[in-house]
Amino acid sequence: MHLYRQSIIIFGVVIPLLFAAIIMGVGYVVQSKMVDSAQEKQLAFAAYDRDRNASNQLESQVIQKRGDLNRWKEKLNQQTASATQINLREIYKKLPSKEIQQTAFDPQNSRAGLGSASAQPSSQISIRFRGTYRTVQKAFLELETQMPQLQLQDFKMEPMSNSAALMNFQVTYTAWEK
Amino acid sequence: MAKIQHPESLNPLQKYRQAGQIFRSTTRAKNPAWFQSALELDFQLHIRPDGPGVTSVYYDRRTEKWSDGPKLTEEILHNEEQTQSLIEDVLKYTHSQKAKSLGIILHVADEFATTDLKPELDNPGDISDLRDAAINEPASILEDSSIQVDQASWRVIPYPAAGSEIIGTTVTLSKSLAPFLSSMREAGEKTNFPVITHALSAPLVTIMGLPKFLKEQPTKPFVTILQYPWFTIMAFFNENADLKLIRTLQHRGVRTASNFRNALFTTSASLEFLDPDLYILPLGEDIDLALEPSLHAQFQSSKIEMVETVTSDALPPWAPELAIITDLDSNDKVQSNTFTSFKEEGWATQDFIPTPKEVAEIYPRKSEMRFLKLSRIARVAIILLTLLGLSYFGLGVLEVIKKPEWSFDPSQANITRARVTKLKAEQKTIEHWENLLSDRSKAWANMESLARMFPPEDGMLIQKYNYSAKPDITRGQAKVGFIKSWNISGMARFEAVQQRLNKLNTRDGINSHFTEIAKTTGNSAFNPSIGNRSISVNIRTRENNSYRPIPPEEAQMSDETSYPYTFDLTITQRFESDDPMAINVPKAP
Repeated sequence: MHLYRQSIIIFGVVIPLLFAAIIMGVGYVVQSKMVDSAQEKQLAFAAYDRDRNASNQLESQVIQKRGDLNRWKEKLNQQTASATQINLREIYKKLPSKEIQQTAFDPQNSRAGLGSASAQPSSQISIRFRGTYRTVQKAFLELETQMPQLQLQDFKMEPMSNSAALMNFQVTYTAWEK
Repeated sequence: MAKIQHPESLNPLQKYRQAGQIFRSTTRAKNPAWFQSALELDFQLHIRPDGPGVTSVYYDRRTEKWSDGPKLTEEILHNEEQTQSLIEDVLKYTHSQKAKSLGIILHVADEFATTDLKPELDNPGDISDLRDAAINEPASILEDSSIQVDQASWRVIPYPAAGSEIIGTTVTLSKSLAPFLSSMREAGEKTNFPVITHALSAPLVTIMGLPKFLKEQPTKPFVTILQYPWFTIMAFFNENADLKLIRTLQHRGVRTASNFRNALFTTSASLEFLDPDLYILPLGEDIDLALEPSLHAQFQSSKIEMVETVTSDALPPWAPELAIITDLDSNDKVQSNTFTSFKEEGWATQDFIPTPKEVAEIYPRKSEMRFLKLSRIARVAIILLTLLGLSYFGLGVLEVIKKPEWSFDPSQANITRARVTKLKAEQKTIEHWENLLSDRSKAWANMESLARMFPPEDGMLIQKYNYSAKPDITRGQAKVGFIKSWNISGMARFEAVQQRLNKLNTRDGINSHFTEIAKTTGNSAFNPSIGNRSISVNIRTRENNSYRPIPPEEAQMSDETSYPYTFDLTITQRFESDDPMAINVPKAP
C-alpha cells in the first residue's frame, strides 16, 4: 500500500502550489491595486496640474476684478432707495441748486421692466427733476457712476413752457439688488 | 533522528514530515538497492543451512566471483547475541568490498514439507490468486486447518503437467530464521546501508535448476530424487518434463527414509509412470551414496543416473542452489513449461520469510520516494517561479512607485479643485454682476447722444424726448435680449432737415452717430459693431401748418412758427440674446 503517497501529493505538491498561487495571487492583486492606484494618482495628478493651471489663470483674471466685485457687493448691500437719496443729496451739494431740483422720488419694490427678465432681485425707482440740460446730465453721470446697479428703464424730457433754460426730466430706473 | 512510526498511526502532515525525514536522513532516496530484491543486488551473502552444517559464501555479481563467507552454525543463526556479532563482521566485509548494498539469500535446505490445497480449489485458472492467498491468508486455501500462520509460511507450487490430478501444492517452511533475517535488515537500517533478505526453499531452486544438470531432453517420464541430509524429495515429471507431483520423505535420524523405495515405486505406479528415469542429486556433504545401487535392484528397467551438480570450484558440490540462483539467465539444455514458469514467474524463487508487512509499510515505497524527490524539485521550481513572479510584480510595483505621481498627495488635487471651484464661482459671480451692471442703459449717455444728435443753434427745436428699455423675453434661455427705443419729436428748419435728419435717417448715418457716442462716452451699448445688435431709424417730417416765413436773422429758436417742418424720429436698437449685453436670467450664484 502507498501509505505516504496522499500526504506527499497534498503537502509536497498541492499545498506548495496553492501557497505559491496564493502568493502570486496576492502579488498580482497588490500590483494591480498599486497600478490602479497609480493610474488614479496619475489622473488625479493630471487633474491637479490642469486645475492648478486653470486656477492660476482664473486667479489672474479674477484678481483684476475682485476689487470691482467687492465694490459692487458693497453697493448692492445698501438699500436701493436710501442709497439713491444719499447719493443724490451728495450730488446736489456739488451742483448749482437753481439748475437742478428734484421734484419727485418714487421707489417701488416691484420687479418690472428690465428687471422682469431676470431672476435677480430688482426694484424700480422713479425720479423727477427740473433743471438745465447739462447740470441734470452731470447729476445722472454722477448718480449712475456711484450706483452702477441703476439701469435706465424709461426716460422722458420736455422743455418747460415757462422757461427756455429749464426742462422737466422723468427717469425710471431698474435697480439690481442682491 | 526521531523514531519512525507506522504511517497509519500518523496524521497526513506527520506522514509527510516522516517521509521527508526518511528522505533526508537515509539513503533510500539515493540508493535504489533499498527497493530491489536481494537476488538483484551486486553483493550477496548466501547462507545454506542443510541440517548438519551451514554453508555460507559471498557472491559479487560485478565480478561473478564467489568467496568464503563467515563460519556459520545453526546455533549462530538462532542466537541473537551471536547474530549481532556476525552482522558486524558481515557488514564490515561488505564495506571492504565497496559494495553499496548487501543481499542476504537464505537457502533453506534443512526443512521441506508440502501441504495440500483444499480440493475445491482445484482450478488451474485460480493459481495466481492462490499464490497471493498463500502469503496473506494461507488458512483459506489449505486443507490442513491446524496451521499456525505465525510459525510457518506457505507458498503455492503449481503442477504444470497436463493431466495432473491436482493443480499444485504448497511448500511449507518454518519461520525459525525470521529473527535472524530481521536482525540483518535492522542492522542495515541502523547503519543506513541497504541489507535486503530473501529466504528461498533450496529444493525448489534445485528443481528450477534441473535443466542445467540434465544431459539431454527427457523423452519419457522421470523422477528427480533430491537427497538432502534430513529429507529426500521426489519430483515426478512427465514425458514433457513438466512437474506432476512432489513428495518429500523425512529421514527422521537415518540417512535415507526407510520407506523411500516403496514410496518411489508406489507413487510412480499411481502416476502411471512405467519405468521412469531416475535422476539422483546428492545435496548434502554426507548423504547416503548407497541409494543408487539399491534402486537398480528395484527399478531394473529404469535409467538411473547420479547427476553431477558441480558448477564452480569455489562452491561445495552439494550446494548447486547457489549457482542456480545467481545464474538465472543462462540457456538451459532442457526446456519445459515447468522450468520456464518456475524461473520466469518466480514460483521457485518465492520469498518464504519476507519483511513483515507492518515493517515494510513503515518506509515510503520506491515510487513514493521518487515522487517525494520530484515533489522537492517541483517545490524548488515552484519557489523559483514564485520568486520570479514576485520579482516581476515587485518590478512592476517599483516602476509604479518611481513615478513622481506616486508621491502625489491626492488631497492636493482636492484643495486645488476646491480652489478652482471657488475661483470659478467667483468668476461666475463677477461675470454675472459685470453683465447686470454693464452700461446697457444710462441716462447721461442718452442725453449726450441727444445733445450731439441735435446740437444747439442747429435749426432744430426738440419738443419731446421719450426713451424706454424693455426686455425681449424668450422663455428657457440663459440670457434675454432687450430693445431700446427712442422717440424724439420736434421742429426743424429746412437746412436742418437736409443736413441733419436726412443724414440720420440712413443706416450709415445712425450707425455713425452711435459709434461717435460710444467713443465719446465709452458706453459700449452704443457701439453698433460688436455683439449681435441692430439699429433701425425712422423719421417722419411734416410741414408746420403754423409756419410763418421770416428772415433767418429775425427767427427765435423758441419761435415754433419759424420752423417750416415738424418731425418725429424713432430709433430702435435691438440687442439679441447672444449679445454680450443681453441680460442674465439666472440669479447671482
